[in-house]
Amino acid sequence: MHTSTGRSSTPRVAARDLTAPWHHVDGVLAAVVGVILVMGSVMVYGATRYTEAKTGLVVRHVGFIVVGVALGVFVATVDYRRLLAWWPFLYGGSVLLLLGVLTPLGATVNGTSGWYRLGPLSFQPAELAKLATIISVAAFLGAADRVDWQRLAVALGLLAVPLGLVLAQPDLGSALVFAAIALGMLVVGGVRLRHLVALGVLAVAGVALVVGSGMLDDYQQDRLSNFLSTDGQSYNVTQAQTAISSGGLTGYGFGEGPQTRGGFVPVQESDFIFTVVGEEFGFIGSGLLVALLGVLIWRIWRVAQIAADSAGTLICVGVLSMFLFHIFENIGMTLGMMPVTGIPLPFVSYGGSSIVASCVAVGLVESVHMHRFTR
Amino acid sequence: MDTDSAKVRLGAVGIVAVSLFLALFARLWFLQGIERQEFEAASVSNRLRVIQTEGPRGRILDRNGRVIVDNRTTIVVTLDREPLRERVSGLDERDPEDLEKIREELSEEFESTAAALTSLSIPTTAEDIWERYTDKRYSPQEPVPVAEDVGEEVEQYFMERTADYPGVLVERRTVREYPYGSLAAHLLGYVGEINDEELLARGAEVPGSDEEPATTTTLPGQEPKPYEAGDSIGKTGVERAYEQDLRAVPGERTIEVNARGEMLDVVSDTPPVPGEDVWLTIDIDQQALAEAALAEKIESIRGGRTSDGMDIEAPQGSVVITDPETGEVRAMASYPTYDPRLIVNGIPTALWEYYQDPANGLPLNNWAMQGGYAPGSTFKPITALAGMQSGFIGPGNETFYDQGVYELQNCSGGKCEFQNAGRARLGSVDLTRSLTVSSDVYYYWIAENLWLGRGAYGETPIQDTAEQFGLGSSTGIELPGELSGRIPTPQNRREAYEANPEAFLTGDWYTGDNLNTAIGQGDVLVTPLQLANAYATLGNGGTVMRPHVAFQTTRAIDATQPPGEEGNYEVVRTIEPEELGSVEMTPDQYGKLFQGLLGVTQDPGGTASSVWAANPTAWPFAGKTGTAQVRDKADTSVFAGWGPAVPGQAPEYAIAVIIPESGFGSDVAAPLTFEILTPISEGRVDPVCPLVEPERSECEQDKAAAYERLAAATAAGGDEGDTAPGTEEP
Repeated sequence: MHTSTGRSSTPRVAARDLTAPWHHVDGVLAAVVGVILVMGSVMVYGATRYTEAKTGLVVRHVGFIVVGVALGVFVATVDYRRLLAWWPFLYGGSVLLLLGVLTPLGATVNGTSGWYRLGPLSFQPAELAKLATIISVAAFLGAADRVDWQRLAVALGLLAVPLGLVLAQPDLGSALVFAAIALGMLVVGGVRLRHLVALGVLAVAGVALVVGSGMLDDYQQDRLSNFLSTDGQSYNVTQAQTAISSGGLTGYGFGEGPQTRGGFVPVQESDFIFTVVGEEFGFIGSGLLVALLGVLIWRIWRVAQIAADSAGTLICVGVLSMFLFHIFENIGMTLGMMPVTGIPLPFVSYGGSSIVASCVAVGLVESVHMHRFTR
Repeated sequence: MDTDSAKVRLGAVGIVAVSLFLALFARLWFLQGIERQEFEAASVSNRLRVIQTEGPRGRILDRNGRVIVDNRTTIVVTLDREPLRERVSGLDERDPEDLEKIREELSEEFESTAAALTSLSIPTTAEDIWERYTDKRYSPQEPVPVAEDVGEEVEQYFMERTADYPGVLVERRTVREYPYGSLAAHLLGYVGEINDEELLARGAEVPGSDEEPATTTTLPGQEPKPYEAGDSIGKTGVERAYEQDLRAVPGERTIEVNARGEMLDVVSDTPPVPGEDVWLTIDIDQQALAEAALAEKIESIRGGRTSDGMDIEAPQGSVVITDPETGEVRAMASYPTYDPRLIVNGIPTALWEYYQDPANGLPLNNWAMQGGYAPGSTFKPITALAGMQSGFIGPGNETFYDQGVYELQNCSGGKCEFQNAGRARLGSVDLTRSLTVSSDVYYYWIAENLWLGRGAYGETPIQDTAEQFGLGSSTGIELPGELSGRIPTPQNRREAYEANPEAFLTGDWYTGDNLNTAIGQGDVLVTPLQLANAYATLGNGGTVMRPHVAFQTTRAIDATQPPGEEGNYEVVRTIEPEELGSVEMTPDQYGKLFQGLLGVTQDPGGTASSVWAANPTAWPFAGKTGTAQVRDKADTSVFAGWGPAVPGQAPEYAIAVIIPESGFGSDVAAPLTFEILTPISEGRVDPVCPLVEPERSECEQDKAAAYERLAAATAAGGDEGDTAPGTEEP
């Protein structure tokens, strides 16, 4: 156990206040995020330069990164325990926003009412809700020694409300992210195994009941069955795999990918950005990106381990589950391993809400890391 | 929260994370490392489009290099029915009620398009457009033309208003141009859009069909030229026969496109190779002369009566002129004719119906090689030779006394008496005389004796000789659709009867059949081309040449200069004269035929002597009249021969003229032959001018100048010899 030995200080640094947060920044985590953000910006540029309608996007993307990094740094400097104390406000606010987006205040894009339009900008409340829910569940579960069934029920309720609202948009991808967060946090949060098993059985039965009972509208049913069926691959998936595979070992080189140049993969600057990496930089480039994302996950996992308290651990686990699901689902769908659903690749895909939320999420993890010696 | 348990559970999360990342790496390696080639091919086919670019079709030139078929660009307004059909989906065009509904539904579109065309001074009604819309001759996917040969202002008008006129397209097409109008139309043939059968035969795939294309075969040493749906292809005549030469090799442009099909880049561009120019053996001036004389003759005799009182219908007629030494066709005229300029954008319905109605003489048919006629007395040289070859007519000068009637020797019922035309008593005739005066009785005598002596002569000495001349089978001319004609024999009579006993009275061969055959009647059928070729064989001393209409193909060196100009072309392929066989004749036998046929025009008793007597052709001409009887109709008038008919001198022209339902050979076909041959023999065929400007004006001026010079020279008379060449005043 090396994690809690930080207090056995050496004489050389004894003169300084070793508990000060700025001494405990996880440099590797910050650096890996920085590298991925730079790579992402380059890829967004590469994916948008051939389409006249999209040429300004990379500038906006960098703008989002600036905002995101600033907010992330700010969140990192705030002791996560203070954020935990505010959880009812964060939670309540995000639930209100999720409710509001279903009203005429929200904008509908591709049949999903998931955005607020603010002039030229749009904002996806689900991204904020993911973080608010992570903080809330961490606050609630971290405060207890044992998770009995009453507590489990409350935690499930906290997760179920935003999940249900997101599903109502309907945004199946984000709903699945909530489910992944729930799974990770409940497992690590100390829910008993038999409760977990019972939950699993209930979840499967519930889904079967909902689908079977005809409670869903036709289009919802279609989406669900489309999501689950992998036979008869769609145009998107075929084109995505074609792009990635033809990149080979070293790729066509930046700006040289024919699939990318021709715009054969839809939304290649956001949900399908990994195809650009795969085609233009080959196995070396895309493997490197996956490895960097792996380092990101590893660093978060490490912070979860060395966190000062269980709430800190749970925050990290929530963020880890969120990122892990995003990464595996997003890259997996471009590789034809996972069904297609519209969720972005963190730090790489174009999209303001995603970039900012991801930066803030890393800010939270950094906060847990930096404040692990403060009381 | 139990710390140890939390660590374990966190470890489990870590294991899950590691597993998921390993799965991603594995899949990534599988796609990029192992499956790469397969997907790379998909990527290539995704973005690269190969476009076939058409090159100009080869031109067709006459023997002197004058362009008679050229290319030009035309602008056509077409109607793409697909977008209109979408509006009336659910209605069935085959159901008359639905069809009426479709018409109502789309009437507004048709009205507005018609109004627009009318305002652009192309008078059009909605009715016209509807007719095209329902035109069965166009495949449903194919846009139908609604206005052809329109100006650029029309193109611009519709290009700027595509949204207002759904389905209306404006296309630029390259079409054939005919500087001499309908001249030689049958011989030249026409081009049309390639059909499914032709595509398959040329190894191309038919869109929307699973049929396997054929493995293509071409002339040795020639690469097959690729085709795709929508291409033009020769349908008839020279256009079809020389398709492989005329066809341009399409270019191939490979472009890179994006997902929306927009072009990003030209990857490679192989320009098309223009088709080769085909030089015909035809002399366009002689062709024009033959066509004009034929048309004038037919039109002048129509409605009159023959000398034996029958109505002259003359529904059709043909003239074929060949070079007896080489088999080159100099002119091939068929009446009635059609104007290929009217069908460059497809044959309009009304015109098609007109062409298909037999009452209009079937103008698309090339009667010169697709019409089969009884040759009548023009067949007699063949019977005469058969008589000599069999030995029935010996080298001595056997004569037979022609009383105008011939009675069969052992007549056992049926028809026993055969007579000359008009029971003419021609007196004592030998073989030579029998040809000159056209005695039927002499040939009845030969025919009966050959049949009675079939134990010694065989059953078919006459037919065997006819076969040597190439009659009864196609001549091998390269033009498509040649009729093979028919020479009746006991055997094929029997076979025809056995195959279809209802259609014939008998399957037996009687003496009378031999008699009819001997004078080119009965079941004997020849085409004008076969007859011309047979007389070419007589003219050249017995060599059967394959008639042909082209002698070389060339490629222009400078595309901007006339393709027939001296030094501006290189020869790609030469079409050599081809000997198909020969007719066995001793000099004595040949001499008798020669003298007999020369007498036809030269001897005072010759059947065509009155035609030639007044003003003989510049050189002696040997030939034979023919008058073939057709039940209840006027006789078929036939003439065939060659010239110059001078022993030891190569003949230059063989000719055959056949006009059905027009009367005696000496009344119609012989005078027509004379009219055509006189200027040819004198070397003063009136040059024909193209119909297109500025060539027409230039040609007319040259012609006028030539006439002036000729007139001046004639007026100057004897002084001409004193003027040194080159000092002539302009």
